[in-house]
Amino acid sequence: MLDAQPTPLVQVQDLKMHFPIYTGLFRKHTGDVKAVDGVSFDILAGQTLGLVGESGCGKSTVGRAMLRLYEPTAGRVVIDGDDVATLAPEALRKKRPTMQMVFQDPQASLNPRMTLAEIVSEPLDEHTNWTRDQKLERVYELMDQVGLNRRFVNRFPHEFSGGQRQRIGIARALALKPRFIVCDEPIAALDVSIQAQVVNLLEDLQEKLGLTYLFISHDLSMVRHLAQRVAVMYLGRIAELSPSKDLYARPLHPYAEALLSAVNEPDPVLAAQRKRIILKGDVPSPANPPKGCNFCTRCPRVMDICRTVKPDLLEVEPGRLVACHLYTAAGSTGASEANERNQQGENQ
Amino acid sequence: MLTFTLRRLLLAIPTLLVISLVIFLLVDLAPGSPMSEIPLTVPPDVRQKMIEALGADQPVFVRYFLWLRQFFWVEPAYAFDSWFGTTLAEGEQRILSWQSRSPVFTIIGQRLPQTLIVIGTAYLVGILIALPIGIYSAYRQYSLFDQGGTLFAMIGFSVPTFFSGTLFIIIFAVWLGWFPTKYDTQLEVVDWATFWEQIRQMALPVMTLGLANAAAISRYMRSSMLDNMTMDYVRTARAKGMSERTVVLKHVLRNSLIPVVTVIALGIPSIFGGAIITENLFGVNGIGAALIGAIHASDLPMVQTLAFIFAVLIVLFNLIADILYGLLDPRIRYD
Amino acid sequence: MSMRAALLGAVAALGIAPAAFAERGTDGEVKLTFPQAVSIMNPYLSGGTKDIYASSMVLEPLAGLDPDGNLITKLAAEIPTRENGGISEDLTSITWKLQPDLKWSDGTPVTADDAVFTWEYCTHPEGGCAQATKYEGVAKVEAVDPSTIKVTFSGPKPNPYTAFVGALSPVLQKAQFAACIGAAAPTCTDQNNMPIGTGPFKVTGFTVNDTVTMAMNENYRDPAKPAFASAVIKGGGDAEGSARAVMETGEFDYAWNTQIPPDSQAAMTAAGKGQFVVAFGTLVERLEMNLTDPSADLPEGERSTAKHPHPILSDIKVRTALSKAIDRSILVEVGYGAGGKPTCNVIPSPDAWASDNSGCIAQDMEGAKALLDEAGWTDSDGDGIRDKDGKKLSILYQTTVNPIRQDFQALIKDWWTELGVEVELKAIDPGVFFGGDAGSPDTFQKFYADVEMYANNSDNPDPETYLGQYQCKNAPSPENQWQGENINRFCDPAYDELHAKLTQTTDVAERQAIAKQLNDMVTKDSMTVIPLVHRGTLSAHSNTLGGVAINSWDTEMWNVADWFRVK
Ligand SMILES: Nc1ncnc2c1ncn2[C@@H]1O[C@H](COP(=O)(O)OP(=O)(O)OP(=O)(O)O)[C@@H](O)[C@H]1O
Ligand code: SF4
Ligand SMILES: [Mg+2]
Repeated sequence: MLDAQPTPLVQVQDLKMHFPIYTGLFRKHTGDVKAVDGVSFDILAGQTLGLVGESGCGKSTVGRAMLRLYEPTAGRVVIDGDDVATLAPEALRKKRPTMQMVFQDPQASLNPRMTLAEIVSEPLDEHTNWTRDQKLERVYELMDQVGLNRRFVNRFPHEFSGGQRQRIGIARALALKPRFIVCDEPIAALDVSIQAQVVNLLEDLQEKLGLTYLFISHDLSMVRHLAQRVAVMYLGRIAELSPSKDLYARPLHPYAEALLSAVNEPDPVLAAQRKRIILKGDVPSPANPPKGCNFCTRCPRVMDICRTVKPDLLEVEPGRLVACHLYTAAGSTGASEANERNQQGENQ
Repeated sequence: MLTFTLRRLLLAIPTLLVISLVIFLLVDLAPGSPMSEIPLTVPPDVRQKMIEALGADQPVFVRYFLWLRQFFWVEPAYAFDSWFGTTLAEGEQRILSWQSRSPVFTIIGQRLPQTLIVIGTAYLVGILIALPIGIYSAYRQYSLFDQGGTLFAMIGFSVPTFFSGTLFIIIFAVWLGWFPTKYDTQLEVVDWATFWEQIRQMALPVMTLGLANAAAISRYMRSSMLDNMTMDYVRTARAKGMSERTVVLKHVLRNSLIPVVTVIALGIPSIFGGAIITENLFGVNGIGAALIGAIHASDLPMVQTLAFIFAVLIVLFNLIADILYGLLDPRIRYD
Repeated sequence: MSMRAALLGAVAALGIAPAAFAERGTDGEVKLTFPQAVSIMNPYLSGGTKDIYASSMVLEPLAGLDPDGNLITKLAAEIPTRENGGISEDLTSITWKLQPDLKWSDGTPVTADDAVFTWEYCTHPEGGCAQATKYEGVAKVEAVDPSTIKVTFSGPKPNPYTAFVGALSPVLQKAQFAACIGAAAPTCTDQNNMPIGTGPFKVTGFTVNDTVTMAMNENYRDPAKPAFASAVIKGGGDAEGSARAVMETGEFDYAWNTQIPPDSQAAMTAAGKGQFVVAFGTLVERLEMNLTDPSADLPEGERSTAKHPHPILSDIKVRTALSKAIDRSILVEVGYGAGGKPTCNVIPSPDAWASDNSGCIAQDMEGAKALLDEAGWTDSDGDGIRDKDGKKLSILYQTTVNPIRQDFQALIKDWWTELGVEVELKAIDPGVFFGGDAGSPDTFQKFYADVEMYANNSDNPDPETYLGQYQCKNAPSPENQWQGENINRFCDPAYDELHAKLTQTTDVAERQAIAKQLNDMVTKDSMTVIPLVHRGTLSAHSNTLGGVAINSWDTEMWNVADWFRVK
């Protein structure tokens, strides 16, 4: 990450996560919930990629599948040189220290029967052969880093406030000095006043420790100043992946546009230009996504081709990738997935 | 915790008194007479005399207060006397069974050992079988093993013990001749031979009851494991790079056990209560058989005393379950 | 007995021990199982057969009854008769002689005082003695000398073999029970559970409602008996389990009361380990006809009383028709198998006392229909149910909850329905039905139904007391708190007169003739009682147990001293 020439630390290629549906008396495999259906992106070392989208669009699933908390159905997830998606169990376990996750619900993600010290030091038991004192020292160090009073070291999770719990979650994630952290809506369950504190903490830590983040959120304004680039997801696919400021200034994909129209615009000039787009209808089920563009059932600018041909995620402007027929020459939609990857690679 | 326990115990006293009165009235009002087992050849006037000799013709409240006094004063005093050689209960009438004219507590004393040994072992065996089945079924949900476990539990649940017991008797006692069908309560374990004899005679009732117990507990274990398996903290543990063993045994299991331990504790009074059908079927003649026999014979003092002891045990083990919960789950504190 | 002992001594002296004269205690343990566990070993405090049978291995009366209903000596040297002077000419006293040198199992001598005490014990007003009837009419029991007991009755007693005869009336040891008289009787737990007796066994351990363990009585009067050194009675479970333990697994030698369905009987016998034996006493499963009106429309206190004759069943033609419609052989086949036979008698045995009444055995549906037609019950509106004067021929038929009885109810209902009778069935918890609670509407005595079914028996081969039930004065009514035994409210002065004559008659042949006549009066002559099945007690014994002679007049263990191991 200290290289002058930035190289991607994380490369996701065509990641798919399908949850099988079994029905009937004999639990026959009758279909799949296509929670993530072909997602590709890179994250440069030391940077943050924001991942936004409506609830249920598959954001958490992307995060979990990347860290092999789910077994991905297809695709590659290269993190720091290893394809996590195919790593053998033991190698995966060894790999875990490099990649960590901060969870959405700080209460549920901490084992209620373990004290702070146990929670934070447990990964150390597994991955180091330090003495007790060394481990305790590290726990204290981490508590300092995330701003927790050392006195609390033997408390149980339920004895902390929500913000403090999320700090524990962060300390825990940091324990093994990871390089990459998936932050899955780390602030969604927190009070607005505390949200800022935690976000600031994450930013400070990134700066100090040179961390790389995938920051999942449905709060677009929060992502805006955290992430260098933002991916907008819809129904298991990426609709648009653009540098943050470009996206917020001028969303290209109709879905991104609709999504952003609902966000408060701090700049009064831009706010004046903005008109709110209300989407009609419901998000289709990921078990049965529409043919063609998966946004076609709700898109205000839908065309005939949209209902039959799936648009690929292509670079339509420098650094900006969009999956929409509006931005591709009509009829020239035969671009292969390999092409998609190549383009993405070239641009970084 | 201590004050909590004491407060609960104090609160239990009036509750239990009310329960004792309710049981007494229920048992008393229940149809049937202590003479219903006496053959018709005994004429009515003799029956009437017999009822009078039992004191069964006294008004219900007189009998209730007599019972209260006997239960809370005479019997403890009697026990105290027999331990310390005092004479507190001298000349006092103990609670007598109408059916056998024996002191109810003597009967309970005779019956408790086999009930605890047989039913207790069955409970233990049930738990020991149930936990691994429940854990592994949940861990491999919908696997062949899980389906097998479900089938096992369904059988254990739905097949009544009189049926499974009779089936076991026919297979293991009649056809194979491995085990006796009647439990010998007089057997004393003094050496290996008698110990083996004891194991053999416990085999069938323990199998019968163990199956039923295991069915219920394995289901609890499974669903509790499943509840916890999808919890975020389990994902956290996996994310930490903990081994699968640690994840399942340390994180999931330890949390899943909390409700299961409570259920197990709440089930313990039923051990004392015996298993009426199984005891009867195999001639274990423990507390359960005593209760059903007493109910049939309208033996009010026996039914009343046993029912009340069960009530006490249930209240007690509810408290124990609560305390256990508090000990196991740091989120719960009683102040 | 002493003759036999002398003979035995002689044989022993010669050094030849014939197989028939086994030595005492050489055959190990005999194991019995009862589906109902033994509650108490004192028959005076229990009416339960299980308790009486168990205690009969320990406690003995002066005389007992053999399988044919004949008197045999137990503690008595001989059976007193008028011929041998044991019974006074005026029939007001009987004098028993004890055998010489009788000892209790604790080694102390048995004396006439023990018998006197036993009488005092059972007749004490506060003792609640279950066998008080055995001493009814006894004015006094005296010890003439240490081995002579004189029982004096308050009037002439044609059947004086009640007190101290049979397992219901054994002799207690005065020394042991002296402090247990009257109100103290129920509180003497040790005495009641481990009585000292004269029988072949003595109690060594007693767990209530579970197990009785016994050892041979070293002081038993016959030095060669019992063959078994110890005995155990394990109680609990059910008839099926008890039977199986003898017939299939061979864990036990003897199982009492193994009444199981006929097909199970056959299957178990096929296992070849043992056999079923049936004791036919006087137990008869019967239908009792209510001769009074149980209608709920009547004011309480008048329902089922002599005030209102039964609107349907008062007509003997209807009662006869109901009886004719029944096929008793099918009932036996379905319910009892070897354990029952069809009967038309209230007194079905012993043979000498039983009437040769068998007219009811063959089912006669057409005859039954004709009788109803004759009685004016016709199906005028064509709904399949007969009626008369706008009233339907409808009957409420009740019994206890019991699988065999419910089978019987269903079968009989079918037959009666075919006859054009509407039948409503009701099954009552036995505890309530037999409980005698005057407050309950469901006791068999209250009889708030038209027909009811249960079984009853005489506990004595001489049915005098039993037949006395049907006297007019014994009808249950509010006046006697519904405690009478004349369930049908049968009232025939001729019957009462004849029964009175029975109580005065001493000649046995004459008594038997009267008893048969009384039996016929309540059965075939009046169809008041409709007997169905003569029920036996089915027991099972292992093929390795010898000497069993089933007895329905006394305890089944009456000759347990003679039981031995077949080798
Ligand atoms: N284990 C699973 N089995 C089956 N379906 C699942 C599973 N996990 C998630 N899904 C489905 O996948 C889709 C995406 O879920 P996901 O949790 O990734 O959404 P999300 O974008 O994180 O939503 P939120 O903002 O509410 O957290 C949803 O439709 C969900 O129902
Ligand atoms: S491809 Fe068509 S439907 Fe999809 S976003 Fe573009 S315009 Fe809308
Ligand atoms: Mg999510």
